[in-house]
Amino acid sequence: MENENRDEMIIKQQREIEREICEAIPLVSQLNEIGSLNDEYENDEVYINKIKDLQTKYRYMRRTRPDGNCFFRAFAFAYLEYLGKNTHDYISFRSLAQESKEKLIKLGFPQFTLEDFHDTFMEVVKKFDPAEISLDKDMTEELSLTFNEQGYSDYVVVYLRLLTSGKLQEEADFYQHFIEGNFTIEEFRHQEVEPMYKESDHIHIIALCSALDVCVRVEYMDRGDGGKIKAHDFPEGKEPKVFLLYRPGHYDILYPNK
Amino acid sequence: MFKLGKFGKKEKSKCEILTILPNDCVAKNGKKLILDNTRWEKRLHKELMSLISEPPPGVTVDAESVSENLSEWKINIDGVEGTLYEGEHFQLLFKFNNKYPFDSPEVTFIGTNIPIHPHVYSNGHICLSILTEDWSPALSVQSVCLSISSMLSSCKEKKRPADNTIYVKTCNKNPKKTKWWYHGKFFLMSF
Repeated sequence: MENENRDEMIIKQQREIEREICEAIPLVSQLNEIGSLNDEYENDEVYINKIKDLQTKYRYMRRTRPDGNCFFRAFAFAYLEYLGKNTHDYISFRSLAQESKEKLIKLGFPQFTLEDFHDTFMEVVKKFDPAEISLDKDMTEELSLTFNEQGYSDYVVVYLRLLTSGKLQEEADFYQHFIEGNFTIEEFRHQEVEPMYKESDHIHIIALCSALDVCVRVEYMDRGDGGKIKAHDFPEGKEPKVFLLYRPGHYDILYPNK
Repeated sequence: MFKLGKFGKKEKSKCEILTILPNDCVAKNGKKLILDNTRWEKRLHKELMSLISEPPPGVTVDAESVSENLSEWKINIDGVEGTLYEGEHFQLLFKFNNKYPFDSPEVTFIGTNIPIHPHVYSNGHICLSILTEDWSPALSVQSVCLSISSMLSSCKEKKRPADNTIYVKTCNKNPKKTKWWYHGKFFLMSF
């Protein structure tokens, strides 16, 4: 009898964990000092040393909810925050985003469902036009509100997933090298990129950065030796506009020391 | 109970995938974090209109069922000519909740003719990854119908899943409460 309901029990337990997480962690948090990370690693020398190293380069962070969408959500928040202060880059991003819909349709994405996500994505992008925003503070508050509103936040995540998937398809020959075994890019896109809640790996980051022509710096903080965190730029050789902290399985937003 | 799907076992990654939206999750400021209701209804209306005006071959919506309740659709699909199901007629039941399209629809075969197929249980449950784990909000009722139709069309031998008897006896009424195993895990090259 016990066995018979195992699936339900597992699923129920998963839901409980998910509920706890979503009650505890907003989709995107307020600014926290980097030092607040110490609370998570009491008596853990490896991490405490790495947090010290992180503090030499960054002052603040924002936590994102660990729901498998954290890379996309963190990226969108941080990049829009940057664009809201940089008119030139904002204008080119907005036209790239505007045109991306036609591009995805040409790649075979269904116009029908794509449209809703694109419309909401553009609505969000237009909110952060530097010409419309007078104060940094207003923009950050507006970003926080927007990204904590599931109806906007998740639509933005979906659209970024579709852009990522589109890039993988467009350059399938190149990205195929990242995948071991007999899986095709097509399978990978449908199983690991387009569905919500699927975690992001290097391949997602590279494809999204390439689709949007932007550079992201990821600071890797794990249990590895050396006491230093390692930075990796996607792609290398460009000036990063978005800074993320990676801890195994999760991305948060970082703010460099000015 | 774990079902075996098309490629074999899938290992769960250690960081669990969150598969719900927090319908009953209240933020610290007391504001409910839910998707507005009108949005999912708007999307369903849009899908319905398109399915009625440009149905894919062999697919028809039972408009009467939908007019009674927008969150439950009956859809008829015909076995494709030249396949094992030629001349047969099937009916699918789609159930949606207010988290659609972020939550996948619950889709089962209903009625007297449940297709005999290695991925379709005799109670109408379907083992198809896009109905649970691989669902994406960019999919639609139409794309689900097409996937199911092509799943039937590619069948080489009409038979029930090997574990049909035990599954049908013990499963939940809702197929989304079964942990289906569909395919292997991807291995990505690290650098």
